[in-house]
Amino acid sequence: MSEKPSFVFPKWINKATLGLLATLAIAPVYLIILLGYGANARTLNVGFSPKQPVPFSHALHAGKLGINCYYCHTDVMRAAFAALPPTQTCLNCHAEIAPNSKKLQPIRDSYGLGPASKAGLPVPWIKVNDEPDYVYFNHAAHINAGVSCLTCHGRVNEMTQVYQAKPLNMAWCLACHRNPGPNLRPRNEVTNLNWNPNNKVQLARDLGLKESQLPKNLGKYLVKKYKIASTKLLTDCQTCHH
Amino acid sequence: MLRIHHHFMIGGSLLLLLILPLMIIALKRHERSATPRLAIIQDMDKMPYLKPQRKSDLFADGRGMRPHIPGTLAREDFIYINQAETRLHPNNWAATHVVLNSKVKYEKVLYGQVLRNGQGDWVKSIPIHVTPEFVNRGELKFDVYCGPCHGDNGKGNGLVNQYVTHLRAQGSPDAGTWVQPTDLTGPAVKYMPDGQIYGVVTNGIAAMAAYKDQIPVVDRWAIVAYVRALELASAPVPAGKLPVQDRPASPPGKAASAAHPGMQVAAASAARQTQ
Repeated sequence: MSEKPSFVFPKWINKATLGLLATLAIAPVYLIILLGYGANARTLNVGFSPKQPVPFSHALHAGKLGINCYYCHTDVMRAAFAALPPTQTCLNCHAEIAPNSKKLQPIRDSYGLGPASKAGLPVPWIKVNDEPDYVYFNHAAHINAGVSCLTCHGRVNEMTQVYQAKPLNMAWCLACHRNPGPNLRPRNEVTNLNWNPNNKVQLARDLGLKESQLPKNLGKYLVKKYKIASTKLLTDCQTCHH
Repeated sequence: MLRIHHHFMIGGSLLLLLILPLMIIALKRHERSATPRLAIIQDMDKMPYLKPQRKSDLFADGRGMRPHIPGTLAREDFIYINQAETRLHPNNWAATHVVLNSKVKYEKVLYGQVLRNGQGDWVKSIPIHVTPEFVNRGELKFDVYCGPCHGDNGKGNGLVNQYVTHLRAQGSPDAGTWVQPTDLTGPAVKYMPDGQIYGVVTNGIAAMAAYKDQIPVVDRWAIVAYVRALELASAPVPAGKLPVQDRPASPPGKAASAAHPGMQVAAASAARQTQ
């Protein structure tokens, strides 16, 4: 008399176990790849490009017309904050050029050329490159050290609508703070986004040297010349979080 | 046979399901987005304290940063008046406190004028000590603020002027009421006292806007110095007035003399550039 067993694993369990083991082996790897790729700063931060109240094109103004960054972002050489220009700055030219453009209506309203209710109110520009509030980024410190606008903002002179070009996360900042040399250039070329480090004639003029005197390692030379702080200090917490 | 097919189907769609999120991420990495980054953990990214140009509900116009109050001086302008040196700080390239000689009256520097019998009179020459560095600084500032319209050589045909001329040729209404900027190396500026050029930069003239809010006092004077340098550069220079390295082989008898040694250098370097 043979008793039938109360429960027998069905045959497909053999294959399913294999499948389960394979899934358990692959899943963590897959999740790590997914998170690493999906949640990294490059994916999350880069590409933020809000629609601004006025479709101001840096590609036209800074690119085609060659207007220097300093013209509008006046105080960036002296101040921590790269201020957006007051409405007056737009009117320097736009009182004459495209004075009736529809796109410029918010500018004229702010300046007091539109309805009285809007006169004197700021144009609500949206900040694109924004650090968290516990980071104290100082523009003047970077510009005076010879760090170009390009390093953190990308090719703004080719952007019709500004977007965030660099991740601006802490690891990214630190990469340069650990080794600033490669991102340095002569101070008067900071706003020249088309600067060519191989133009020896220009470089000699910028540094006030003869062409034969040019340093072999420009980064190293500028670190010394501009008295860039030591890597130890540059990577200290309180340098940026004070 | 049919069974194998079935397995491939399941495996294939599983694989696709796994790859799909990666593909979406890859797409998002290359797309622009009008919404700010996804912040899952907010930490203290946004704190209620005020940063420059941030919105504030305290004021009716919403501006956290308050506009300049007429009749007051910014702190840095005050520094000009109170310190007692006249040179650019050698180690601080961005510093604007080129400071005054204690003998110089501040209205000379701030307004480019001296008061005589209750009337403003333009100062004849720059009331700040002019050095080669000062003129170089003027060049930098000139290229930023004046160059777009007046051109880097000051002849009045900068890229903005060229662009608007192009617009006008096309019959575009955007050309507006634009008039070609003045040739800064021409007679209109040549016979102006230095103080008056400073006054034009400060308060604007005709279609040109005032630049007093964009350019600090000392930089405006540096620009005046550079305008003079451009003038010299565009005028024929007698060989005797050139710096030594630019003189022809047989120098004339008289030694060079000029009001500002810095200008000579700048004029020569500007001349080299325009060649």
